[in-house]
Amino acid sequence: MIADFRERYERAVNDPDLQPRLLAFQRSWRESRDAQVSRLEQRTERSFDDLRHDFAAVKDGTLERIDDYIAEFRANAEAAGAIVVELTTADEAVEYIAGVCAARGIDLVVKSKSMVSEEIELNHELAQGGITAIETDLGEWLLQLAEQRPSHLVMPAIHQKRQYVAEILGQELGRDFDPDDIPAMVASARQGLRRHYLAAGAGLTGANALVAETGSIMVVTNEGNMRLATSLPDVHFVTAGIEKLIPTWSDAERQLQLLPRSATAQTLSTYTTCITGAQPGKEMHIILLDNGRRSMRDDDTIASALRCIRCGACANVCPSYQVVGGHTFGHIYTGAIGLVNTTFHHGIEDAAGPQGLCVSCGACETVCPVAIPLPNQILSIRRRATESGHVPHWERWLLRAWATPTLFRTAIKLGAVASSIARATNLLRRDHFRLPLPTRLRWRSIPAIPSRSGSQLIRSRQPQPAVAASPATGSEIDLFTQCLAEHLLPSAVDSAARLIEAGGATVHLPPEQHCCGLPAFDAGDWDAARRMARATIDALGRSDRRIVTPATSCVISMKEHWPQLFRDDPQSRRRANDVAERVYDLADWLDGPGRLPDGCLNTSDQHAWAAHRFCQSSNRDDPGARIDLLVERLTGETPLPLKEAEVCCGFGGLTSIAAPEVGKGILDRKLDCVAASGCETLITNNPGCALHLRAGAAAQGASHETLHYADFLAARLPWSS
Amino acid sequence: MITASDRGTQFAEALHGAQGEIAWFDSWDDIWDFAASLSDDTPVVSPAAHQFLQRGDLPDADDPLRSIADRPVGVTVAALGIAETGSLLLIERAPIDRAVSLLTRHLVIAVGQDDLLDELADGFRWLAQQPRAAAYATFVTGPSRTADIERSLTIGVQGPSRLTAAVLT
Ligand code: SF4
Repeated sequence: MIADFRERYERAVNDPDLQPRLLAFQRSWRESRDAQVSRLEQRTERSFDDLRHDFAAVKDGTLERIDDYIAEFRANAEAAGAIVVELTTADEAVEYIAGVCAARGIDLVVKSKSMVSEEIELNHELAQGGITAIETDLGEWLLQLAEQRPSHLVMPAIHQKRQYVAEILGQELGRDFDPDDIPAMVASARQGLRRHYLAAGAGLTGANALVAETGSIMVVTNEGNMRLATSLPDVHFVTAGIEKLIPTWSDAERQLQLLPRSATAQTLSTYTTCITGAQPGKEMHIILLDNGRRSMRDDDTIASALRCIRCGACANVCPSYQVVGGHTFGHIYTGAIGLVNTTFHHGIEDAAGPQGLCVSCGACETVCPVAIPLPNQILSIRRRATESGHVPHWERWLLRAWATPTLFRTAIKLGAVASSIARATNLLRRDHFRLPLPTRLRWRSIPAIPSRSGSQLIRSRQPQPAVAASPATGSEIDLFTQCLAEHLLPSAVDSAARLIEAGGATVHLPPEQHCCGLPAFDAGDWDAARRMARATIDALGRSDRRIVTPATSCVISMKEHWPQLFRDDPQSRRRANDVAERVYDLADWLDGPGRLPDGCLNTSDQHAWAAHRFCQSSNRDDPGARIDLLVERLTGETPLPLKEAEVCCGFGGLTSIAAPEVGKGILDRKLDCVAASGCETLITNNPGCALHLRAGAAAQGASHETLHYADFLAARLPWSS
Repeated sequence: MITASDRGTQFAEALHGAQGEIAWFDSWDDIWDFAASLSDDTPVVSPAAHQFLQRGDLPDADDPLRSIADRPVGVTVAALGIAETGSLLLIERAPIDRAVSLLTRHLVIAVGQDDLLDELADGFRWLAQQPRAAAYATFVTGPSRTADIERSLTIGVQGPSRLTAAVLT
């Protein structure tokens, strides 16, 4: 049994070793994987993106005609003496294996790593029938000894400490191990497992690919255990999902260009084994499992998740995974892909728990070697989880309130009153409340609500003269102020307006604007999202002027989420598109239609500043994400290098509220990098992130200030005081 | 045009990257002398290698794996090598063919210099045309390894802990 999600979450965030270990892993993987990928690109003279899309097309093509390829595979494998069985459910697969074992009098099975066998919880089920299954991959064996599950697709025991490993090995083998002598612990597997290989009646493996043209299986391993498990016993079981089919050996080679480099950052794993048919005098049973895969294939949004080659890369770049690990971030399948495919293999209930942990930063999609649009698929699953009632009530209520402008504004007004009282009574520090927060929230402070909103700041001043001619000189622009920025970061709204005016354009403030719907969309509450989106479309649809906003995330929302929200409502979709087409992120504006000339904000000062690039737009490769280049171009001031500048800051919409430890963990990683950069000012381009980074810095007492880049730039306008 | 010696250099570099070793020999006799010098124990040889070497201990036909498990030195032969990855392709249909490469401590794999191909893709093209070879074929790239305990790379787990490609010129 897998513990309840909340319990797994608590266990993970209370393990002091987990985060540093996974952080070190992610960083070193990133470095070696990037080096491997760039060598591959050089060697093939093709980009990673081209290579992965090519192979993705192979997988998609195979899945479209899956039954033909299964038939071809079956014919060839059977001709080579294998028995091929197609099974629909996990239970059928377990029964089949148990049945063959019973008929042959087999009570011991040695296993090489197979995620499908984890998926169907084979070991547990076989044990019920008196059959022992022994894992022979070292990591899997250690997990079995500890009665645990893999927390990573490729590094299954990544969560175990060597002290712990020494303890469980000691118990199993009846002698002491020095935790610092890893080679000795590794060596013990050779002897510890040998007797099982010799006694086993069957060996079980997975398959990294099933090659239709010859009916062969291909398996990659590093330890050599798979070859042993298929050489000693007389029966060989292969458990594989039907999505592992590929047409030819040349496709297998393409898969190998991507798999080991993405998995363990190796050019090739130590053993790439190809087996065709039963060996002389032995039996081979190939179990092709559906278990939800055909439903995935028939689901337009999810089908491409079947391309997955189980490399684990999506976990290796996931900031939330780094904080909680795979026992929490996933179910049996871990990492981003686990948030998607669990729904189909194990049900929405098991998939629902970790959905809120995803910060939607989009890093997973950038490294996935088969280009699965994981972030979008996660959002889709989240919607299903919400619609089937698997979402906390407080979240629903919060979003409903947010979606109702009158309620939202009342809350803001109350907050503003409380803030001014606090200001008068000296209860604020660095514009944040000095409130005794519960321990788990103490890593951030609650920001005071400024006395005037962004729109009020703009209305309270005269329009500013232009600093230079721009392509937008003389034009009229609507400013979308964004709900958060308008009330919590009003200076950024005013600064955005000033920068637009600096290019000689006039700024208008369309009335009745509120929220584009992003928070609700992200949380999977599409009804609330639609309501917010419609109100915004109404507000911005009253003119046909171009629209600029300092809120990068909302631009993505309008351009990408709105079409999804109104997929089945052509009229709304048309109106939504009409607005979305006119929307510009401020950074894109200042580099494009409202381009300010180089150096026009050069004050001859050089500040110590660094830039955190909004992760979501960075990971989509939006040019506007590179605010450091924009700021340098306009001011002539060079930024300080910031490590992991594009890794999420931990805001992630509701994640930092629903899972505060995740928000804190990711924020700490970010603030460590910020501190190491030595900057005095950190700039960023998304209001939510600016607020999150600022609140965290205030709570930590960090010495740098955090600004939206619009504020940093506007402070360099000639008339700013 | 990639020459045979470029290919050899590339192969050596890739194999070193995978913690494997490489040595060059003029004859099978030299390979035997090398293998025999690695330990006081007589090398065990796979049936394929025995055809060329005509000496060394063969695995026992009745219980091939147990008979040679953990012997210090083994010698076998690869069908081809891959310069791109430093891999050697072993064709080992029956357990007796596999015993040496599975369970000896220091594995010497002989390969003809002319059998080095440029890329893994060439290796798979070859394999696709040899249905019999694909019965049980393994691209071996360096000695066995794991990083399962705290990501610490440890060479030599359940397979050989040293691997030398013996290139026959
Ligand atoms: S989804 Fe992509 S990145 Fe994640 S395990 Fe599968 S192939 Fe690898």
